[in-house]
Amino acid sequence: MSRFAARRLVAGVFLLFVVSFVSFVLLSIPTLDVARQLLGQSASQEAVDAKNAELGLDQPVLARYARWLGDALTGDLGTSWFTSEDVLTAIGHRLPVTLSLMLGVTLVTALLAFLLGVWAGVRRGPVDRFVQVLGVVGYALPGFLVTLVIVLVFAVQLRWFPAIGYIPLTTSVPGWLSTVTLPILSLSVAAVAGVSQQVRGSVIDVLRQDYVRTLRARGLPPRRVLFRHVLRNASAPALTVLGMQFVGLLGGAVLVEQIFGLPGIGSMTVTYTTRGDTPIIMGLVMTTVVCVVVINLVVDMLVGWLNPKARAA
Amino acid sequence: MSEALMSDNHPVAGAATPRRAKRSRRFLRNPQAVISTLVLVLIGGAVLLAPLLSTDDPGAAELSKAFAGAEPGHPLGFDSAGRDVWSRLLHGGRNTLGGALIALAVALSVGVPGGLVAGYYGKWFDALANWVGNFVMALPAMVVLLASRAILGPTMWVLMVVLGVLAAPSFFRLVRGIVANVRGELYVDAARVSGLRDRRIIARHVLIVVRAPIIIQTALVAGIAISLQAGLEFLGIGSGDLPTWGAMLNEAFQNVQRSPLFMVWPGLALGITSAALVLLASALRDVLEDGDAKPSKPRAARRARVVASATRDDAGPRAALLSVRDLAVSYGAGTSAVDVVRGVDLDVSEGEVVGLVGQSGSGKSQTAFSVLGILPEGGRVTRGSILLAGTEVVGLSEKGYHALRGDVVAYVPQEPMTNLDPAFTIGSQLVEPMRLRLRLSRKAAAERALELLRQVEIADPRKVFHAYPHQISGGMAQRVLIAGAMSCDPRLLIADEPTTALDVTVQAEVLELLRRLQADRGLGVLLVTHNLGVVADLCDRVAVMNAGRIVETGNTEQVLADPRHPYTRTLIDAVLDDAPARPAWVAPRADDGTEVPA
Amino acid sequence: MRIRRFPTAGSACVVAAALVLAGCAGAGGGTAGQSDPTLDIATMTFPQSLDPVTAVGGALPFFQATYDTLLKREPDGAYRPMLATEWTWDAGRTNLSLTLRGDVRFDDGTPFDGTAVKANLERFKASSGANAKWLSGLEQVEVVDATHVVLHLDAPDPAYLHYLSDAAGLIANPAAFADAEKLKTTPDGTGPYELDASQTTVGTKWVYRRAEGYWGERLPFDGVTMTVFDNETAIVNGLKTGQIDTAVVQDANQQAALEGATGLTTTPINFDYQGILLFDRAGVVTPELADVKVRQALNHAIDRKTMLEQIRRGKGVVTSQIFGTNSLGYDEALDSHYAHDPEKAKRLLAEAGHADGFELKMPRMTSIVTEAIASSLKSDLADVGITLTWVDVDQGDALRRVFQNREFSGFVMNLGQQASDWLVIKDLVLPGTFNLFGYTDETVRALVPEIQTSSTEDARDDLRALNRNLVENAWFVPFYRMTYALVTDSGVTATPQSGMAVPSLYNYRPAA
Repeated sequence: MSRFAARRLVAGVFLLFVVSFVSFVLLSIPTLDVARQLLGQSASQEAVDAKNAELGLDQPVLARYARWLGDALTGDLGTSWFTSEDVLTAIGHRLPVTLSLMLGVTLVTALLAFLLGVWAGVRRGPVDRFVQVLGVVGYALPGFLVTLVIVLVFAVQLRWFPAIGYIPLTTSVPGWLSTVTLPILSLSVAAVAGVSQQVRGSVIDVLRQDYVRTLRARGLPPRRVLFRHVLRNASAPALTVLGMQFVGLLGGAVLVEQIFGLPGIGSMTVTYTTRGDTPIIMGLVMTTVVCVVVINLVVDMLVGWLNPKARAA
Repeated sequence: MSEALMSDNHPVAGAATPRRAKRSRRFLRNPQAVISTLVLVLIGGAVLLAPLLSTDDPGAAELSKAFAGAEPGHPLGFDSAGRDVWSRLLHGGRNTLGGALIALAVALSVGVPGGLVAGYYGKWFDALANWVGNFVMALPAMVVLLASRAILGPTMWVLMVVLGVLAAPSFFRLVRGIVANVRGELYVDAARVSGLRDRRIIARHVLIVVRAPIIIQTALVAGIAISLQAGLEFLGIGSGDLPTWGAMLNEAFQNVQRSPLFMVWPGLALGITSAALVLLASALRDVLEDGDAKPSKPRAARRARVVASATRDDAGPRAALLSVRDLAVSYGAGTSAVDVVRGVDLDVSEGEVVGLVGQSGSGKSQTAFSVLGILPEGGRVTRGSILLAGTEVVGLSEKGYHALRGDVVAYVPQEPMTNLDPAFTIGSQLVEPMRLRLRLSRKAAAERALELLRQVEIADPRKVFHAYPHQISGGMAQRVLIAGAMSCDPRLLIADEPTTALDVTVQAEVLELLRRLQADRGLGVLLVTHNLGVVADLCDRVAVMNAGRIVETGNTEQVLADPRHPYTRTLIDAVLDDAPARPAWVAPRADDGTEVPA
Repeated sequence: MRIRRFPTAGSACVVAAALVLAGCAGAGGGTAGQSDPTLDIATMTFPQSLDPVTAVGGALPFFQATYDTLLKREPDGAYRPMLATEWTWDAGRTNLSLTLRGDVRFDDGTPFDGTAVKANLERFKASSGANAKWLSGLEQVEVVDATHVVLHLDAPDPAYLHYLSDAAGLIANPAAFADAEKLKTTPDGTGPYELDASQTTVGTKWVYRRAEGYWGERLPFDGVTMTVFDNETAIVNGLKTGQIDTAVVQDANQQAALEGATGLTTTPINFDYQGILLFDRAGVVTPELADVKVRQALNHAIDRKTMLEQIRRGKGVVTSQIFGTNSLGYDEALDSHYAHDPEKAKRLLAEAGHADGFELKMPRMTSIVTEAIASSLKSDLADVGITLTWVDVDQGDALRRVFQNREFSGFVMNLGQQASDWLVIKDLVLPGTFNLFGYTDETVRALVPEIQTSSTEDARDDLRALNRNLVENAWFVPFYRMTYALVTDSGVTATPQSGMAVPSLYNYRPAA
């Protein structure tokens, strides 16, 4: 297992390197005139040239990448061109916001989706219909619509939760909870809908497996067969989906972040990428890749633990 | 040769043609599939015929009419810029669906061939493609979309192509995984041995297997592409001038305070299309995948010839260990319910081996399952009585049944490899029932498990104890299953074709093992088989089953020497004529081509 | 604050919002136990850095917290003493003498004096800041003594006092110039507040605390927090739930969403106007535009009233001129100079020899040119035979293509109405940024030098004549001035600032 993890980590580092290079080259294609954006439209060409020189944009791409890489290896990702904030600090401030959402959504999804999915898969009948309808509705409703309704009802009308803003966990736990509850709720609708379908499908698949019948014939109580054998076998595919969902939230939470005025990674990505703030974008790319590599590793190890055959492969 | 092997070992591949027909019929009978397809066709048709259905230019604005309600020629009124909503809805659908199609086309044309080649040939291409797939999936999609928009220009089509590339790995992984699994399977090997070209194998056998998952994934990705497009519009990085449902929804949202109603049309269009896609996907899954696992309604029972005297002959005093009287098993409900077993009488006494013979689909496995109370989903005992060691089990609660399984009645299944839980070691699967049923300590149970493994003649019990199912051979797995069945000292063993899946030398060994265990422990055995040789070898008595009924019962010698029922005679003649045993027993298909459950 | 929306850091719409910290559950305004409440200002524009050379209009309050300006500009546009107590022009209006306060020190003890002023102005002029060109005419800063400096200009510049009350007048500690990187995130001025670095998340939230021993007028809030949002939906929701107590809301629909909300007061702000900046009056890209009749036809073709009603829900005033109501050049009669008259437009086009129409290409940034604007302009122009083609451009892309490549003849923009007439002339009339092709005419050539060399009041007639000339010759196609809503809750009052879309930091008061 540890050799597997080590191999994956090495591959991850290589991936990080390649992605950083590709992103850097893509970003260097000068369609976004950063200097002019910074200086305003009234800037003279000389001022623009001076600004470009200041940002190092007059250098060849490879030289700039080499410099960026050199700095990055020493832990310095530079400062934003647009706000002068240190890239690592900036991401460090925003990552917890998005991570809060990601973890909350994943937790809620895992719990609810497993509950609903197993229930539907085992009981079938009306429960199953209900879960399927829920799945379709959750899937078909545009995400931002769900979010808006949630804000209007629970924040603006009922005033149960704040409509905007984020309070760090370190500042106040109840405060944190009050600010992330509605965003998590908004994101969980679609996630629960999707993952519960997956769990339902897997549970039904596993229930039809011969070994389930054999285990029952051996005299194991149904509950035990369900919780020990069916759930374990059905979890692996569901975990993979959950993992993908988790990764997706890294940028996919952007609508919810914007509507709730949360300073997270998603809205940061949109804002800074639109402007072409290369240092920040590179930092975000690196963050994303690291998250993806780590999450995939964790998911694969969990799946391997659940499914010994996958471990061997 | 390859044909024969294929039809024998892999029904999906071999029976492609009748099954296709069967599938389309099943598709048509699935209301969810039909309705969702109909909805999609309607939407697609409306969108394609947009210029005919609406004469207005979707871009023509008459600002003074902004937010005006419906009027003749403008059934849905006007939007915030005074453009005809109906026309925009139709033309917007063209762009939205067209964009999704582009994304799909790109994803499919990159992902599927890549997955096929990587899964089939493996080697360096697999490694490379896998890495590229991981690379693409690791790219932050939002950054890629925004960057490509900046570089390639802000048109939706470009974004959809990029989205297609980003979605390609999901197809690639799906196809590669299935193909890699299938590649190792027997029928492809056989096809390869028989000299078929790779291209032909891929086209004939592999593509058929991956087809269903691809179709399902396609419907899902289409839904995702459509909703992602709407999301991009919301972020203001969408289609620009082009009307799309996403753009309409976004525009309506901007004006939600003024006229919330405008969110309804594009919202409905998006919602209904996505819902239809996901419903279609799940219906397709039922039709294409699950269908094979579900017992379809067999009609064999209706066609059965009944020889009353033959079945009723020895329906005399009931045996103490197992006694079945007038058993009927049905699938389905109401008028569509179909009996697969009818009026079966059967007795097994302590120490007696009874063979239940018949061809596939004769109802013998269903009979065995009903004794164990493990009928597959949808099946149930509709009539009769089953006494298990004196307890009536028909209508017995799961809890009551559970008290009998393991130590009164045990089960040896047909297919060894699929009857072990892949997630647990052999040892833990043996130990678990003993600890629960016999209340043994962990240590005692482990010792007993090792002893059982020794008894079923496994050379290195300790190694097998710690192995996972995928690490042992089929013969060894069958021995493990026999050990598992024996573990709680049952009085009745129900063995369902215990040797069919094994190769010939192993078959003999396993039969020998069963005989020995039966003799040692004085077990009653109900041996379900199609193999008269096995019956002659092992059984004291035999019951012959055809089309859901027992046509003849008697002691083995007598039945084999002097069959009274013509069906029994056919069975014996087939063996005596030295005809190849298996092909003669291939399941006859019911009139409609549905397969009769084994 | 100058032409905004477009160039400044990022967000296409610029909103400044003031919010009074209300706690997460919408608890009351002030912080219990302290004498003065705190004030949160949120904005959709944020500063590139806190180095004053990068200051631009929408972000000015971020700088006003920690820096003082040489002059203070009052809400009505009048100049008052701040770091400079007196200012006088010489007769030629090229030398500006300033008398400075002698009792102000920076945090490290460095005195604020003539040397500091000289260092700051010269640094501003040499910087790559967006407004550096304001001081391009500054030949020399003469330090007479610690409290007296004279600014020598190469030509008269009637907007100078404006500069010194704005970005160019922000005075930082010259000792901090050595480490420019540090100054970007660690402001070092003499202002009423200090940045609380521990609470600040650059890019999202800036937190300021009262500077003890501030030399000047004590502001009524103990602390100021400025929070950045990406959209007005969040701000409006925050206003409704009491999490935000005051904000400037630009979008008409968002303004409507606030109507009827209890406890909120709305004050109109009229700063931005919207219209087509027609660069190509010489017909370089679109030859047809060289004819004044074609440009007039464009003006007559646009249905301003309907646009205002439908797009801005009537929140604004139609206009045909670029001079704002606060400026001397403003002439109310010119607001309605071009009536919507497609027939006249067609006639004008026919007279110009373009009866068959022509194609006009304009860039479209979706953040400004919404669907409704895009399609209504398109159909209004189509009605008179002009084919308007929208070219989708991104924000960054637009700047390059419009100003560097000069690909387009015009550009729909939201522009701020400067309070200083000379800034309007400098930006829009003289060859330069918004007069890309350097077009001019006889009247402009005659009037501009007059205006440049006379005192502001004396120039009034010339300014109005200039304005009339621009309108009649259809230099621009303005649509309407937009009314923004300065929303405050019961805890705060705020006064709009002339020539700015957001109030100055000094304009907020706790409600009585």
